[in-house]
Amino acid sequence: MPMKKFINRPENIVPELLEGFALSHPKQIRLTGSNLVARATPKAKGKVGVVTLGGSGHEPGLSGFVGEGMLDISVAGEIFAAPGAPRCLEAIRLADYGAGVLFIVLNHAGDVLSANITMEMAKREGLNVKMALTHEDIAGGSNPEDRRGLVGFLPVYKVAGAAAEQGGSLDTCLEIAERMGRNMRTLAVAVQTATHPSTGQPIFELGDDEMEIGMGQHGEAGTGRMKLKTADETAEIVLEMLLKDLEVKPGEELLVIVNGAGATTLMELFILFRRVHQILKAKGIKLVRSQVGEFITTQEQAGFQLMIARMDAELIRLWDAPSNAPYFVVR
Amino acid sequence: MKDGITRDDFARMIAGAAASIRAQHAMLSQLDCAAGDGDHGTTMLRAVERLEKSFAPGSPEDLKACLREAGWNVLGVDGGASSSLLGTFFSGMADAPACGASIGASDLAAIFEAGLAAMRKQTKAEPGDKTMMDALVPAIQALRAAADAGKSVIEALRDAAGAARAGAEATRNLTARYGRAKLLGEKTRGHQDPGATSMSLMFEGFCSGFEESKGESGNA
Repeated sequence: MPMKKFINRPENIVPELLEGFALSHPKQIRLTGSNLVARATPKAKGKVGVVTLGGSGHEPGLSGFVGEGMLDISVAGEIFAAPGAPRCLEAIRLADYGAGVLFIVLNHAGDVLSANITMEMAKREGLNVKMALTHEDIAGGSNPEDRRGLVGFLPVYKVAGAAAEQGGSLDTCLEIAERMGRNMRTLAVAVQTATHPSTGQPIFELGDDEMEIGMGQHGEAGTGRMKLKTADETAEIVLEMLLKDLEVKPGEELLVIVNGAGATTLMELFILFRRVHQILKAKGIKLVRSQVGEFITTQEQAGFQLMIARMDAELIRLWDAPSNAPYFVVR
Repeated sequence: MKDGITRDDFARMIAGAAASIRAQHAMLSQLDCAAGDGDHGTTMLRAVERLEKSFAPGSPEDLKACLREAGWNVLGVDGGASSSLLGTFFSGMADAPACGASIGASDLAAIFEAGLAAMRKQTKAEPGDKTMMDALVPAIQALRAAADAGKSVIEALRDAAGAARAGAEATRNLTARYGRAKLLGEKTRGHQDPGATSMSLMFEGFCSGFEESKGESGNA
């Protein structure tokens, strides 16, 4: 099937999408330097800067979360590919307001490679930067290095960004990011592939009547393919796996995020969330905060990510703090 | 020194590698569809274009400076792991002590070894893991062996290209253990690794580029 996408020249997709994104939210963000997405109004001197990197084609992730109370700068790479170290280093220099920079990296091979090279260069320059790696996808198995960073970036950006905005030190912001990271788990489910917008090729194959639990962000093979199930059955399987992995006990407080992959409708996401809510209630687990929507997508891939995170009073306070990021406004 | 390599020879080697990738980039993207997201050819094309530009007229006369700039430019391709590793490879080459104006097979081996050493600081992938290392490591070993045996630069490059090709072809029977493809595990068996294939194409290009370079200077 030929690709049906509103694009111009494939090689211009990333600069054009960034241009359009910046033009559509001029009060919150602007492009600076080599196409870095930055806050329209830079943070005050003496506060920690928060920077992230990641491939494009996952909008609104990750640049949609640049704003007061969240990220200072997002370095967008090519489609599904991490940006290289030169632009990441540039972003870290720009986001250093005198109190150091927290560099939040999602665990994917290319992102981590770029980030490690960037960290070496930054340290050689004497920049005060610390890296927080998110890796909460339980499909990777028990080794944390094999767990990828999925929609869990959202609470990590949010709480670390709030801590930075409130004047927390670099060590404080790092501790908050890592605490959030340790307490979250995600699983992705896919029911339909996406086409790569530059090549027009499908990024994975999946039978018409199949779904796959444990799908990553781009169709990396996960834990299991099976015949398509109902929303309730799917929510039950996925939630049980997450609760078991995070060892959630009755009475504990959870943040739940249901993230649409791109082609799955809000209608479906709400039906899934409804079942998650029912199960948690039956188990006596407190659902204290929730988000249902599209935070990181993969083109017209159909499916969703379910994320659960154990919250404490401080994490909830930071989650509730204000943000003017275009795709996560909290007043 | 008749058999030595100059900065201009190196530029021809890079041009050869670029031509080789340019001719096969669609095939590389196709290979990448099996376990990746089908963009490896596009990424490599952008990387070799930047390599060529780094050696174009007006770039530094000094090979070391050229390689350092080439590495930085390839890192800036923003093409994920492939361009980060390839950029590290070229910028690492600049650290070789032998990186001078005119170099022989042994010096060339030392330059490539320095590039590989820089990469190994960034990745734990080894031959057998179904990555670009499956072509790169045997290629550099063959280059070193040829140099130690007193072979000429072109003979050494031919040996390296042969070893790279064999290494890339052997990835067909391997299971991926690194990067995105790792999660596909056994499903990756039967598909040749795109990273190893592009490395093999680069060495083929180094070889033909160098042959052309010496062929022309011989005619002059």
